[in-house]
Amino acid sequence: MENKTAQQKSQADLLVEAQQRKQNQFRMGAGATWGVLLLVLIFLFSGKTVLGFETIQLDTEFMRENIVFIGSGLGQTLLISILSISLAICLALLAALGRLSTFPPVFALSTFYVSLIRGTPLYLQIFFFFLALPQLGIILSGLMAGVLALGLNYGAYMSETFRAALSSVGKGQREAATALGMTPLQTMKRIILPQALRFAIPPMGNDFISMTKDSALVAATGFVHEVLWRATKVGRAQFNSLEALLMAAIFYWLMTLVLTFFQTRLEARLAKGDR
Amino acid sequence: MAPIVRVSSLDKYFGRLHVLKNISLDVQPREVVCLIGRSGSGKSTLLRCINFLEEPSNGSIQVDGVTVESHGRGKEHRQLIHDVRLKTGMVFQEFNLFPHMSVLENVIEGPVTVKGMNRAEAISLAEENLDSVGMLFKKDEYPMRLSGGQKQRVAIARALTMQPRVMLFDEPTSALDPELIGEVLNVMKKVAKDGMTMLVVTHEMGFAREVADRVLVLGEGEIIEDAKPSALFSKPKDPRTKALIDRYRTGGR
Ligand SMILES: Nc1ncnc2c1ncn2[C@@H]1O[C@H](COP(=O)(O)OP(=O)(O)OP(=O)(O)O)[C@@H](O)[C@H]1O
Ligand SMILES: [Mg+2]
Repeated sequence: MENKTAQQKSQADLLVEAQQRKQNQFRMGAGATWGVLLLVLIFLFSGKTVLGFETIQLDTEFMRENIVFIGSGLGQTLLISILSISLAICLALLAALGRLSTFPPVFALSTFYVSLIRGTPLYLQIFFFFLALPQLGIILSGLMAGVLALGLNYGAYMSETFRAALSSVGKGQREAATALGMTPLQTMKRIILPQALRFAIPPMGNDFISMTKDSALVAATGFVHEVLWRATKVGRAQFNSLEALLMAAIFYWLMTLVLTFFQTRLEARLAKGDR
Repeated sequence: MAPIVRVSSLDKYFGRLHVLKNISLDVQPREVVCLIGRSGSGKSTLLRCINFLEEPSNGSIQVDGVTVESHGRGKEHRQLIHDVRLKTGMVFQEFNLFPHMSVLENVIEGPVTVKGMNRAEAISLAEENLDSVGMLFKKDEYPMRLSGGQKQRVAIARALTMQPRVMLFDEPTSALDPELIGEVLNVMKKVAKDGMTMLVVTHEMGFAREVADRVLVLGEGEIIEDAKPSALFSKPKDPRTKALIDRYRTGGR
């Protein structure tokens, strides 16, 4: 009997080991392929000619001289993204709640906002805020106009995420809270929102990452000195646009890699939690 | 003695569907009343009208001296509904524990948020009730990690900690594996013995026979029989009651 359990156990161990080996093989394969793809990319920009293949020649001196100038736009990029995402979260929550409202004006306000914003390009919205608001006597800095546009835009999209998150909380939860005597406001705050937010965090992470890149559109107004604005400026001035844009691309990519790393960890933590 | 629950001429429509038809019903303090009836006969709806989880279409509800009319509007009406909800505790078939809170947090949520009780006092009350349903040892656990029977016992403790005058149970054991039903019924028996007034929708005939003071049979939205369990089970008056009891005997629903 004991013998048998020992055998069974070792069989289970073997299965686990085999599974782990498979997983490791997969990871190593994927990692190696990433490495190869990276090398190919680097090779494309190496300037060497191999077997008659010409590759792109970069002005490395220009790159060395300007890397700090371009990189110092990261602060602005992150600042815009953080301000915009905060605004977006507030708007999204209001819009999602408004959408559930039984009071016609509130419902209409919410659906009108989402429809208008989702129906027009972000690029156009940014210009609109920059050009139209001054005519109404509202003068915003390039940064604030950008944050307003990005926040409104992402808020409209995220409201759909929030709506899904709110409806993911079963109606039994609301009933249990109501039966305890909680008011609708208390029920929302204490019971529904905490559960909905947990559901909404992964997609919100995605939105934040994609916003760090869309923040580059704000550069078009010419007044926010973030990464892309700086790259465009020095690139044009010294006829090295390719090098400048390449560096900007690397900065954006690195930034999203770091953010993705944190997002993955956050998601793992949420998944382990007490759902 | 004055009844602690009085349902007067209650009607409930869902759209065109007439679910409860002119129901009147009194429950005395400390009485245990079981509600049985076929699926769709309106048992849940009747229970949910008492604490206004469903808005009655007509009639009035009275709980422990607070009367709410079906057509009330405005702030006063909402206050009356709130008062009735404070006097009634509800236990659901699906438990409906709050998954983002620990067992203890689930149980103190009502007293702290709704009654404004201070936390320490709520905790000691909660621990007392968790102890009496045999769940104190899991007070820091999250609901996801409890069995169905354990969840339902916590849900009962949560309702009791609001110190209601009347407890409403809507098929509290119907979502449970058969081997877990007993532990929940035992807790309910204990609650009954402690003198709680109870209205219980159930398919557990053994429980009805043993614990109930009265059994009400609902059929197509009407009370078709209202009797002591001994009388009801031995000589049912209405043929529908007889059919229902026979079905339970043969193990069906
Ligand atoms: N929210 C609702 N909207 C529309 N119809 C409803 C609603 N809730 C219940 N009904 C209908 O009302 C009738 C009575 O439902 P109720 O849930 O009270 O029955 P029940 O006796 O509790 O049945 P069961 O034993 O299946 O729980 C059914 O026909 C049901 O379909
Ligand atoms: Mg029911």
